[in-house]
Amino acid sequence: MTLNQIAFLVMGAAALFGAVGVVFFRSPVRAALSLVINFFVLGLIYFMLGSQMLGISQIMVYAGAIMVLFLFVVMMLRDDGKTDKPQTQEGKFLVGLVASLAIAALTYVAVISPTMNYTGEKFNRIYGTPQSIGTVLFTQYVWPFEVISILLLVGIVGSIMLAKRKF
Amino acid sequence: MLSHLIPLASVFDDVPLGWFLTLSLLMFTLGGLGVMIRRNPVVVFMCIELMLNAVNLSFLSFAAYPSPVVGDPNQAAMSGQMMVIFVMAIAAAEVAVGLGIIMAIFRQKNEVDVDEMSTLRG
Amino acid sequence: MQDDIFKLIWWVLALPLFGFLFQALMGKLVIDNLGPKIGRTMMGAFAVLPILGSFAIAANITAALRALPEDGRSRILTLFEWITVGNLSIPFEVRVDALSMTMVLIITGIGTLIHLYATGYMSEEKDYTRFFTYLNLFVCAMLLLVLGNNLALLFVGWEGVGVCSYLLIGFWYKDLNNSFAANKAFIVNRIGDWGLSLGIFFLMFMAATTLGVTGQGSDPRWLSYDVLLPNIGVMLENYGHWPLAAAAILLFIGAMGKSAQFPLYLWLPDAMAGPTPVSALIHAATMVTSGVFLLNRMSPLFEAVPVAGAVVVIVGCITALLGALIAFGQTDIKKVLAFSTVSQLGYMFIACGVGAYWVGLFHVATHAFFKALLFLGSGAVIHAMAHNQDMRNYGKLSKYIPITFGTMTIGWLAIAGFPFLSGAFSKEEILLETFASKLNWYGLPIGLIGFGVAMLVAVLTAAYMTRMTFMTFFSGEERWKLIPAHAGHGHDDHHDHDHHHGDHGHHDHGPDVHNFFYTDAEMAEIAKRTPHEHHHDLDENHKPHEVPATMWIPLVVLAALSLVGGGWLFFGVQLPEWLASAGVVVHHHEEIKSIPYWIQKVLAKPIFWAATAAFLLGVAWGYARYFKGLPEKDGVDETKWTGFQKAASKQFGIDGTLTWGSINLGKILGDISMAFDKYVIDGIVNGLGGLSKGFGNLFRSMQTGYVRGYAVLMQIGIVALLGYFIYITMIGGAN
Repeated sequence: MTLNQIAFLVMGAAALFGAVGVVFFRSPVRAALSLVINFFVLGLIYFMLGSQMLGISQIMVYAGAIMVLFLFVVMMLRDDGKTDKPQTQEGKFLVGLVASLAIAALTYVAVISPTMNYTGEKFNRIYGTPQSIGTVLFTQYVWPFEVISILLLVGIVGSIMLAKRKF
Repeated sequence: MLSHLIPLASVFDDVPLGWFLTLSLLMFTLGGLGVMIRRNPVVVFMCIELMLNAVNLSFLSFAAYPSPVVGDPNQAAMSGQMMVIFVMAIAAAEVAVGLGIIMAIFRQKNEVDVDEMSTLRG
Repeated sequence: MQDDIFKLIWWVLALPLFGFLFQALMGKLVIDNLGPKIGRTMMGAFAVLPILGSFAIAANITAALRALPEDGRSRILTLFEWITVGNLSIPFEVRVDALSMTMVLIITGIGTLIHLYATGYMSEEKDYTRFFTYLNLFVCAMLLLVLGNNLALLFVGWEGVGVCSYLLIGFWYKDLNNSFAANKAFIVNRIGDWGLSLGIFFLMFMAATTLGVTGQGSDPRWLSYDVLLPNIGVMLENYGHWPLAAAAILLFIGAMGKSAQFPLYLWLPDAMAGPTPVSALIHAATMVTSGVFLLNRMSPLFEAVPVAGAVVVIVGCITALLGALIAFGQTDIKKVLAFSTVSQLGYMFIACGVGAYWVGLFHVATHAFFKALLFLGSGAVIHAMAHNQDMRNYGKLSKYIPITFGTMTIGWLAIAGFPFLSGAFSKEEILLETFASKLNWYGLPIGLIGFGVAMLVAVLTAAYMTRMTFMTFFSGEERWKLIPAHAGHGHDDHHDHDHHHGDHGHHDHGPDVHNFFYTDAEMAEIAKRTPHEHHHDLDENHKPHEVPATMWIPLVVLAALSLVGGGWLFFGVQLPEWLASAGVVVHHHEEIKSIPYWIQKVLAKPIFWAATAAFLLGVAWGYARYFKGLPEKDGVDETKWTGFQKAASKQFGIDGTLTWGSINLGKILGDISMAFDKYVIDGIVNGLGGLSKGFGNLFRSMQTGYVRGYAVLMQIGIVALLGYFIYITMIGGAN
């Protein structure tokens, strides 16, 4: 067990705690806060994987902006009094649980188990810098980038219209 | 050239790929479970975000551990990161619109519960 | 150089089109800016000038055509490829030959005069430019009809004139009766157009197969006359007599609709609801003769199948006789002329049926002269008599409107058959050709029957036209002075036009669910709101006045044509030879070429004396009965009429019976098809619908509307997919 592996296990445990919290905390505020934990730790794991740029984006975009949006909506829905108990008694839940476990098992068997001991080739990991990402994004991926910008614009217009319009 | 500024980059290469993927898989499964058992649409959204992040994590894991059969490891790494950027952008747009819809429904019905939103029943 | 002048034919077509566009697009602008008086004068001039220009160009082209040798008098000019499907090509092409140019000269020549007349007649009309928009469009469509070199273009023109006729009959559309008349014309013409289009399809089918089989089909323009008509013989060999006869009779049904032949004549009398220039141009001189033109153009086809000719003669006979008889019962001056037109059209078809196609066209030309004259004259009379159309209120008008009287007298003499006037020439030719015809049908001497009917109708025509003329211009006292003056403006239902009323009353028009039509009360309300520019009723204080120059100049020109036009066409133009150069079948009689022909034929032949006797007989009857005064038997009090006249005024019940019959037949057919629709079609559709509804019900229970339920189902699907992938990649299902 190397130091790196111990560090990963600690971060993974934190991320999993966040994920479990999202699913099982009754209060939406608590769920949101545990999602923040999860996202933040994921950002750290991205650093660990060599994608510094994306790690920073993760923390700023997800743990920052998107989660603030979530918390705003939770606040505006005034749902504090009502608790949202996870529906664990239903038959639906049992079927879903079985299906989820089946997906996990199948994926593990098919995809993950062969890689449990694979630590990769040694190569110069400088791919995660903002410079290298920017170079690729504005040359090879410039058209998808433009399309994404239009998508975001449409999203902005759509959400403004949804917020303004009285149905 | 910039590698001296980011010493972390080559430090973690003794953690096996499978560990990252296992974390990703667990997050994905938990997210899917949450979509099925939660009734608050905001929380359902959070679970979807969780699933999206699980996918992002596996993209980056594969980017960082290029397979021996991939020709150019740098190219593979860049492609993986690009996918993550696009997923993030789309998720942001999705959250903005989705939360807008939830707000609109809340204004009309004065409550939010995905089980109440069942007017599509056949 | 020679061909350059033929290219000008496009301008003949284009000028009325430009006139139409100018009237339609600029009319309101001009009149709003220049004021009604100057604006209308200007737009009137721009309505007349294109037609006059077309006439001038057409005259030049005709002169150039006459200069050519007889066997080369046909030019085909193509503008563009119109329809190309497989091995069929229908170009937009015109044919310049003797037949089409004769028709073009009639249309543009008479058209110019009538446009000129209309600028005066319609001068007080609010929708001045709309009228000329339609009229110019009509001329354009009619020119396309006669100039087109294939049946498809003829059909386009045919429908175009039909639409213009509809629009112009219903020109004063705010009156329900006019809308009804327009609808009737349009619907009855549909029946004819059904026949025409079926005939065209039939011919096209036979031409396509025949020309394809014999290898002469290298020219894919099957519908063009210059390809179709020379191959009639080949088609006859391939298909035999009856299919071609069917095609010919179907084409003739089209001609029956447009040319108002029995039983499709019903629309023409009602079409007189339109303005009088329209009646003169469309419903007397040009459009209604397009059936005769069609028969002339397709004469090789009709020549090949004598059965079709017999049908044409019989229908023509019935129509000629019926129209002439009904004319006796009419008191509306325009209705008399309308039934006279029906009768004369029957005359033309008798001639065409016995194979004398050129005589049919000859009568088209002379009839265009004198009938346009009579209609325009009647318009002048109506104009002078405060828009009252009842002849029983006229009398002794010769004193008040001398020019109209003089010109209409010439028209009357021409139609009645006064020797050496234009009508007499064509009428005698018809009598001669029917008498000489050997046409018979299963032993029935069709030619002789045609001759007998034609003689009878000649007498009747002279008689009813004398009745009309004497009732209007002579016959005792000035009868409108017997009408007491109205106390006020109480009854006020005619607007600024010659709206006829009282003759057949207002139709009872059933529930008007869409509120489309104005009711009588609303009409009166509108009339009250709209200030009249110039209006008074016909009563004892009325003073008839002569019409303005724009209206009497056309009358004088047409009168001159009625005087000498027949002789000129016959001796000067040599119409049979002229038309024969266009491919119209002409049977040459021996005498025609001989020099002392006019002495021999005109004076020494019994036909001349017979026709003159018919004329004298008819006029004598009219003189005896109507010259002194209006007889009580034909007076204002209709209960004292003779039984024959009462029946004639009701068209012997034919109109009513056919209308009633077609409505009921249509209702029965409608009921049957509705039942079919309801039980069979709906059964199939509902059955299919029920089937999918059943499936839908089956699957509906899965649509709970619960998002979380859908998520579960999705997960199950993912499991299945993953399992499949693992199966094919790891366990080896791919092999």
